[in-house]
Amino acid sequence: MNSEFQTSPQPLRPHLGGPRASRKQTLKVNTKSLYQRAVKEAFVKLNPKVMVKNPVMFVVWVGTIITALMTIDPNLFGSVPGKDLRFFNFLITLILFFTVVFANFAEAVAEGRGKAQADALRATKSDTIAQKLLPNGSIQQVSSTALRRGDQVKVIAGDIIPSDGEVVFGVASVDESAITGESAPVLKEPGSDVASSVTGGTRIISDELIIRVTSDPGQGFIDRMIALVEGAERTKTPNEIALTVLLAVLTLVFLFVVATTNRNTRVNTASNTVRAISFGVFVRSAPSTKAIIRSINPWPGSDVTRIMSSSEMMRVPPVTELATSDPGSFSTGADSPVIADSSTLATPKTTSPSDGMMSPAITFT
Amino acid sequence: MLEGFFQIALTLLILVVLTPIMGSYLANVFLGKKTFLDPVMTPLEQGIYLLGGADPEENMTGRQYAQAVLISNSAMAILVFLLLMFQARLPLNPTGLGMPTWDTALHTTISFLVAADLQHYSGETTMSYFSQIAALGFLMFVAPATGAAVGIAFIRGLTGRPLGNFYVDLIRSITRVLLPISIAVGVLLLMAGVPETLAGPQTVTTLEGATQAIARGPVANFESIKMLGDNGGGFFGASSAHPYENPNGGTNFLEILCQLLLPAAFIYTYGVFIGNIKQAWLLFWMVLAIFGVLIGVTAVGEYFGNPLVNSILGEQTPNLEGQEVRLGWAQTALFAMTTTATMTGSSNAAFDSLMPMSDFCALFNMFLQVIWGSIGTGTAHLFVFVFLTVFLTGLMVGRTPEFLGRKINKREITLVGVIVLIHPILILIPACITLGFPHTLAGISNPGFHGLTQVVYEYASAAAGNGSDMAGLGNSQPAPTALWYNLTTGVVLWAGRFIPIIAVLLLADSFSHQQMTPVTASTLLTDNVLFTVITAATILILGVLTFLPVLALGPVAEAFLIAHGVKS
Repeated sequence: MNSEFQTSPQPLRPHLGGPRASRKQTLKVNTKSLYQRAVKEAFVKLNPKVMVKNPVMFVVWVGTIITALMTIDPNLFGSVPGKDLRFFNFLITLILFFTVVFANFAEAVAEGRGKAQADALRATKSDTIAQKLLPNGSIQQVSSTALRRGDQVKVIAGDIIPSDGEVVFGVASVDESAITGESAPVLKEPGSDVASSVTGGTRIISDELIIRVTSDPGQGFIDRMIALVEGAERTKTPNEIALTVLLAVLTLVFLFVVATTNRNTRVNTASNTVRAISFGVFVRSAPSTKAIIRSINPWPGSDVTRIMSSSEMMRVPPVTELATSDPGSFSTGADSPVIADSSTLATPKTTSPSDGMMSPAITFT
Repeated sequence: MLEGFFQIALTLLILVVLTPIMGSYLANVFLGKKTFLDPVMTPLEQGIYLLGGADPEENMTGRQYAQAVLISNSAMAILVFLLLMFQARLPLNPTGLGMPTWDTALHTTISFLVAADLQHYSGETTMSYFSQIAALGFLMFVAPATGAAVGIAFIRGLTGRPLGNFYVDLIRSITRVLLPISIAVGVLLLMAGVPETLAGPQTVTTLEGATQAIARGPVANFESIKMLGDNGGGFFGASSAHPYENPNGGTNFLEILCQLLLPAAFIYTYGVFIGNIKQAWLLFWMVLAIFGVLIGVTAVGEYFGNPLVNSILGEQTPNLEGQEVRLGWAQTALFAMTTTATMTGSSNAAFDSLMPMSDFCALFNMFLQVIWGSIGTGTAHLFVFVFLTVFLTGLMVGRTPEFLGRKINKREITLVGVIVLIHPILILIPACITLGFPHTLAGISNPGFHGLTQVVYEYASAAAGNGSDMAGLGNSQPAPTALWYNLTTGVVLWAGRFIPIIAVLLLADSFSHQQMTPVTASTLLTDNVLFTVITAATILILGVLTFLPVLALGPVAEAFLIAHGVKS
């Protein structure tokens, strides 16, 4: 990065209500319809075929069905002495049922949010008309989706950059707030490692550039971000895999405990109550741990949109991790560097959210 | 009552003073630094390495270390099994004892090999002096040394060092730690009146005019390593309740301290290895606090005694049934908790006669395995719970779960899961099968809640490598159920010791190979009070939740019955 950009007179702090003011509207998630859909989804997800994908909740669901059967006939699995057995079993059934439904609901809300955020991102990358430079020097109007790697396009002030690319001619300032959250325009010019690359979906706000496209449609930066947020192509992070293993272990422990206590009924009869209570305690504790963790770390990349709507804090968005080729930082999901510390607050003007960029704290001199 | 608690507090205070001294010494020994025994022991060790063909400079990987543990332990087990089976033809057998039954010999071998010393026999009527000294005494040194070696290898891996060489660690644990201290303790026990002789039983004429044979033997040397190595196998059937093993309050104090010394010191040794004494002290105080609560519950329960007995007597007396009156309720409670917490398993009272809440606390110790735990492996288990806490809290606050700059990923969690899973499986499944056939397999002397406690206790003691025993279960030959108990607890003892050891070593291996992440402002701090409290909560919640049903059906139900004055 050339040092002249660091001495640029542009204000460090973003001006509120700048080019982002309108975008804020599109990012708002319609919470009411989101929850309505989630309630419906919560019951649709009770389908055993769906439930079996989550072994912990599947065990709870099976338990619900068993206690429901025992509500109808308390002596289904051998005669059990005691009063009000139906009522007791009914209460357990109810608790377990709500556990399953609530877990499904939480999951549906998380998924719904992801979809809404993906829609918001998609709005950023609108299907624009690009001015493609033909080899003979003339300009052809094409859809941005028709651009291929190696094509050259011309963008002038006010245009949305149609695709990821590299500046080959011209100097212009570009508003990259859509992906970095930084509202101060970034100067782009050819011949530099960082300042020469531009990202599809950002807006050029002065002068004009000639850009060589570097990605085919659907493989650009924003596309990968959308895919990540939607979770369709998302591979599980190491933490998630490890968590799944741990929860499976705890579920196994619980199954052993319950299965072996069951046999103890031959020694004495109080065990039925104990079994039911321990079943309840286990079942309640196992999935709620997962729900807590899920709600706090929904998925990698979720910070992107949060940052876009609150630009006052200049953070290092996980999105830059995604842009790097290092699979380690991409995959850790819950990784920590989103926390702003003084070093990352420095020199946001040099921010250039292009491929290969690690974090704004890194400056090239 | 105050006097009793004062005795307990004083004993624990002395432990707190001794821990840093012993911990630093252990660290010096295993870091290869200069110690005061170098002039004597270094040539001896060099000779042993030369004879055994071990290269002391060679570092092992986790897999090699585990292989070395398994192969050397199996070889020792075969040797000891043969020694026991042929004891009738071997010397030092003044009473002319014959061959023990094959299942007793097998069970005893496995039991002493894993430092549990679950005894399904009485020493004075089954084992010759030669078997006691050469076979069982030999295992009483190598079993805790194996545990110490594994613990040290784990700490090395955790701190990013190579794991070291198993044979070197094994030899050094014996020559530098177990042998010198046990000699010193043995001399102290001799002075206190513990016998040490190769002569046969003494025949005396009692005041009534009857003749009685009083068993004796080389007890002092056996007793010192039994306590120091957290083995717990008594020379006599009554173990530390026998006046020749534990004559007075002084020996009782010494034996309690010996049991606690090495497991507590290991936590401090970890602190020296990592260069963070603060974290070691926090973990030490956490364990001591839980330990203190368990002693408190036991002591109060024993002090207030059995309400059923009290109502007959018309006054409130401590529960002294099955206890040594010369030691009293406070020393019994402290000893019972120490012996179950440190996985020694040598009781100075009949556990079958303790109050239900004492059984609860004893079971609690063995279910958790980390309130000190056995030498070396107990500390490793403690860190398994620390990893679990780091993993859960790390994810909850959105930090990468890492401990000492090393990430806890799928491989680590899988190994932690094996350790967490194996313990309830080994206890609950055999206990469940046994209880399923109360007449042919269980051999319970007290049916009902107490009988359930007896069976669960037997398997918990075996799985945790403790070796204490609720007498009253038909687990010794020639009881008809003895064969079942000998074989099943044999399997449980073996699996409960070596499967976690393998997992712990592989865990250490994968940590030692990880690139260390530098500490930043966003690293989850593990050396503060908050994290320690959460660790304690994780330990208690996981331990209690897993075993809540059996605890509720056994000691808790029995306690309620007794409190309501119902005879079970």
